[in-house]
Amino acid sequence: MKQILLITDGCSNVGVSPVVAAAHAQSEGVAVNVVGVLDEGDIGEYGAAEIREIAAAGGGLSRLVNTRELSRTVQMMTRKTVMHTIQSAVHNELRHVLGEGSIEALPPEKRSDVVRVMDELGEKAELRVALLIDASASMKPKLQAVEEAIKDLMLSLQARQGKSRICVFHFPGSRHGEDCRRLLDWTDKMSEIPSLFAKLHMQGTTPTGPALMQVIDFYREDDYGRETREERMG
Amino acid sequence: MAVADQLELQLQHGTIIAGKWKGGRYRIERLLGEGANGKVYLVESRGRRYALKVGADAVDLQSEINGLQALARQGTPREEPFLVEVDDFRDGRGHEYPFYVMRYVRGKPLADYIAKEGPEWVPLIGYHLLMRLAALHEAGWVFGDLKPDNVLVAEYGRAQLVDYGGVTAIGSGVRQFTEVFDRGYWSAGSRTADPQYDLFSFAVLFIQLVEGKRLDELTRTLLPHSRVPAELLRLAEDHPVLAPARGWLRRALQGEFGSAREAAASWQRELHRARVARPAGSGPRWLGGLFVASALLLATTIFWLVR
Repeated sequence: MKQILLITDGCSNVGVSPVVAAAHAQSEGVAVNVVGVLDEGDIGEYGAAEIREIAAAGGGLSRLVNTRELSRTVQMMTRKTVMHTIQSAVHNELRHVLGEGSIEALPPEKRSDVVRVMDELGEKAELRVALLIDASASMKPKLQAVEEAIKDLMLSLQARQGKSRICVFHFPGSRHGEDCRRLLDWTDKMSEIPSLFAKLHMQGTTPTGPALMQVIDFYREDDYGRETREERMG
Repeated sequence: MAVADQLELQLQHGTIIAGKWKGGRYRIERLLGEGANGKVYLVESRGRRYALKVGADAVDLQSEINGLQALARQGTPREEPFLVEVDDFRDGRGHEYPFYVMRYVRGKPLADYIAKEGPEWVPLIGYHLLMRLAALHEAGWVFGDLKPDNVLVAEYGRAQLVDYGGVTAIGSGVRQFTEVFDRGYWSAGSRTADPQYDLFSFAVLFIQLVEGKRLDELTRTLLPHSRVPAELLRLAEDHPVLAPARGWLRRALQGEFGSAREAAASWQRELHRARVARPAGSGPRWLGGLFVASALLLATTIFWLVR
């Protein structure tokens, strides 16, 4: 299972639309969740709408929260989206088997069996979460909370039975004109997370769409690399 | 397909819930409470009262029900079954909701009970609660989301667990938790379901009951990296109720108890010692008065007898 978790506090203002990018992600089997971090500032009607639309296009969830609720929200969204991904797959299967595509249509006893299998899949399936963090200037005071939320997410993922890894990107990148940069490669270790954002140079633009596209690319390369590795092994 | 969110449904007093599959009919009396997976109502059906939980999401609610069913299979036969029925119903607008019916547990929320009956009930309530957890653990499950809202106390301090949304098979990731009571939040261990996870939450719950305000302040002011069990233990220092239980709290917070049963035995020993150590107060004053009165009565009787 593949997820992107976008944490931002404003509207995109450069490049391709993030809604288009999120739709791309979903078409490749990557669910996109979005958290808008508010605190004092107001995210504005336009920003709130964009966050909602990105998640809708990306087949994920969206929430507007303050930094205090960030850890809890990130943890909950990731978990819900795992279950949702499985649910969608199960719905498709059910449609094949029964001609009816929903768990709700099953009588309680059958539903119980199906949900038991889903819960087990949710607990054991491999999961990758790519975190994409808005590092525009207004996010600076919130990065401490973002880092805590990432650690908290790692703690929850480590409790899963299935293999779970995260990676972290920020946007814009540190160099001029760079849309997005990877801060942390796939890991399942807590020890690699501390002071992730310590040396981060904050910039003004918010290239949300291009950054999303780059993360999708990263997923694509990762999967391709894995396939070729497997081919060589085989 | 949309991801289900909070339940917006509100059922008014007198509404009839008619089961789609089993045909049961339940009349809503009032809202009892709200959990993460849905709302719990007090209902009446054929002259009996039950608690009925309506969920927003069929899968979430069903997985909670699965936990309850597994528990029921291992439950003690002399107890009335906890889970009564599982079904769906359709509201006025044609929207379908899953629900389940359970035994109605009469009782007060933990905090209300203590506020009304007094803190001297705390050791006994704690013991009942630990034994409930022990039974759950021995069946292979962890409660997960232990907090005051999820504990009801019936008469004479008989504590019961309600809202099983967090119930998790031992060895899996805890399904639902509340930050302040979460072992991970206090950097005291993993979120993998084990008996020690519940015992940790129990310790925080106990501290919260007695020192709620200071605990609240602590969670507001501490930076995440300094959220450690030692800070929780500091609240217990010099506190008339918590200090005697410090040793117990330390062991629970550090995951040193092998099981809830062991923790319950130790709880009995330590808190009993604390009670014994309390300065021996004289009994209630009216008892003394009664004694004087009966002695006088006796004297009068004897006087009349021997006269």
